[in-house]
Amino acid sequence: MEGLPIAEYQGVPMIDSTENLRRTVREVTVPRIISGLTSQNNTRAVKEAEPKSDEIVFRGTLQEVQDFFYARLWTDGLPIMPPTRQAVEEMLKFTDRPPSDVIGVLPPENRQATVWNTAVTGVMAGCRPEYMPVLLAVVEAVADPAFRIVDAGSTPGWEPLIVVNGPIVKELEFNHGTGAMRAGRQANTSIGRFLKLYMRNIAGFRIPPGEGDKGTIGGNFNVALAEDEDTVAELAWKSFSVGRGFEARDSVVTVQGVLYITPPILSGGDSANDHLQTLSEVFGQLCSYRAYIGIKNKQYCPLLVLAPSVARVIAKDGLAKDDIKTFLYEHAKMPADTMERYAWASGHTTYSLRALVAEGEIPQEYFQSDDPKRLVRIFVKPEMIGILVAGDVGRNQSKGYVINHIHGAPVSKKIVLPSGWNPKVNLATPKTS
Amino acid sequence: MNEMMNYEVVWPLGRRASALATPTTRVADLSGKTVCELWDLLFRGEEIFPLIREELSKLYPGIKFVDYSNFGNTHGANQTELVAALPKILEQHGCDAVISGIGA
Repeated sequence: MEGLPIAEYQGVPMIDSTENLRRTVREVTVPRIISGLTSQNNTRAVKEAEPKSDEIVFRGTLQEVQDFFYARLWTDGLPIMPPTRQAVEEMLKFTDRPPSDVIGVLPPENRQATVWNTAVTGVMAGCRPEYMPVLLAVVEAVADPAFRIVDAGSTPGWEPLIVVNGPIVKELEFNHGTGAMRAGRQANTSIGRFLKLYMRNIAGFRIPPGEGDKGTIGGNFNVALAEDEDTVAELAWKSFSVGRGFEARDSVVTVQGVLYITPPILSGGDSANDHLQTLSEVFGQLCSYRAYIGIKNKQYCPLLVLAPSVARVIAKDGLAKDDIKTFLYEHAKMPADTMERYAWASGHTTYSLRALVAEGEIPQEYFQSDDPKRLVRIFVKPEMIGILVAGDVGRNQSKGYVINHIHGAPVSKKIVLPSGWNPKVNLATPKTS
Repeated sequence: MNEMMNYEVVWPLGRRASALATPTTRVADLSGKTVCELWDLLFRGEEIFPLIREELSKLYPGIKFVDYSNFGNTHGANQTELVAALPKILEQHGCDAVISGIGA
């Protein structure tokens, strides 16, 4: 906000000694606070003139377009496809919604998310026109207040992950097999890139020299992840989206935040228990790092991407996704003092399981004794753990996508197809061999 | 796509939806004024806010503080609701100025 004074702490409070902290606050921060509170501010809000949404803002060669957009921080550093009116109109053929429809407002820059600028960004990201219904559902998801897009520029640097389910996975040729999370397949890659570009240009998350994105180190965008629904159906399991309340015939996107990704979890054996034990240990251990804040905020929805072969072994023993969630919930635990130590180092300097139990903020089980080594649960509720089947069918490798507590909470939206969808998609989508 | 061909490209952003606000006039002298504290329960605020109180009290006679415990966690699960209710709550406390922290 223009004119809002910031009193910076000189240094890093979480690594300063008590003595240094006190001196810095007294000698540096307090004078800055006084200046901020009492100095007269002559800032006046001035609305800058901006183009109209469909206005031509530049004419030039392909390279000149790249340079023009890059100089204004409108790209992610990779070349973009020029968003000409004609290209945008092609995208708009794949929705029945008018271009002026406002889907939401995306903080912190608080710009309107519209059907029009969804199409513009889709062109820039290299999406094919028939991806437009998916893009609209993605924008609806991140515009939902439950997703908390405003926190996407926070210092841990989480990234959104788009999960795709339903018939559209095959219709648009999403990859859900080998290299499911690799760049390479146009639907997965360009739709993943679309969201990151959209968050940059509409929500305002730009790394320096821009503003808004404060990710300390951050990471790259995730390609869209699709579920192997053939395997899921064969095992008589529910797909990820059906588990979230949709019909199997619905095409659905779910967007959720990913703070970090586990290593490949290689589980072996021919019984469900063999695999569940390893999954609980590795996925649970990796989730333990941010469990303190998930527990405190009562929301922690990490996603486990299960290898199809591992899913088969577990299903053979009569178990389904809900049973895996329950197992993880029951078995993944960590020492209480480790949880409190992780909390303190992250800046939650008053974090105390004892106090949170006393205040009724978390269940009694978190302070059943004052033994610092007592084991406490990592997950808040079994149903908050997401499970999806994808990856190489010939391997026994699963992977976890760990969320940053309430930041980027999973939000699912049904993909609304335009009238005449099937003929259009069959004409436009190339088939890879 | 032709490298030498000219492309006419549209604006990729969206219209700003929030009203721009001009900051209110600040308090010239904090003596006798009420300062409210907002805290996100992060980054040693439990040590920093008392120091700020101590230092400001030395410089401004009659300064009053409504400490952060009166407001709740500004970055917790109820952040949206709390922030929406803040203008009214600050008014109820007779707030003249606000110190909000601690960001990173």
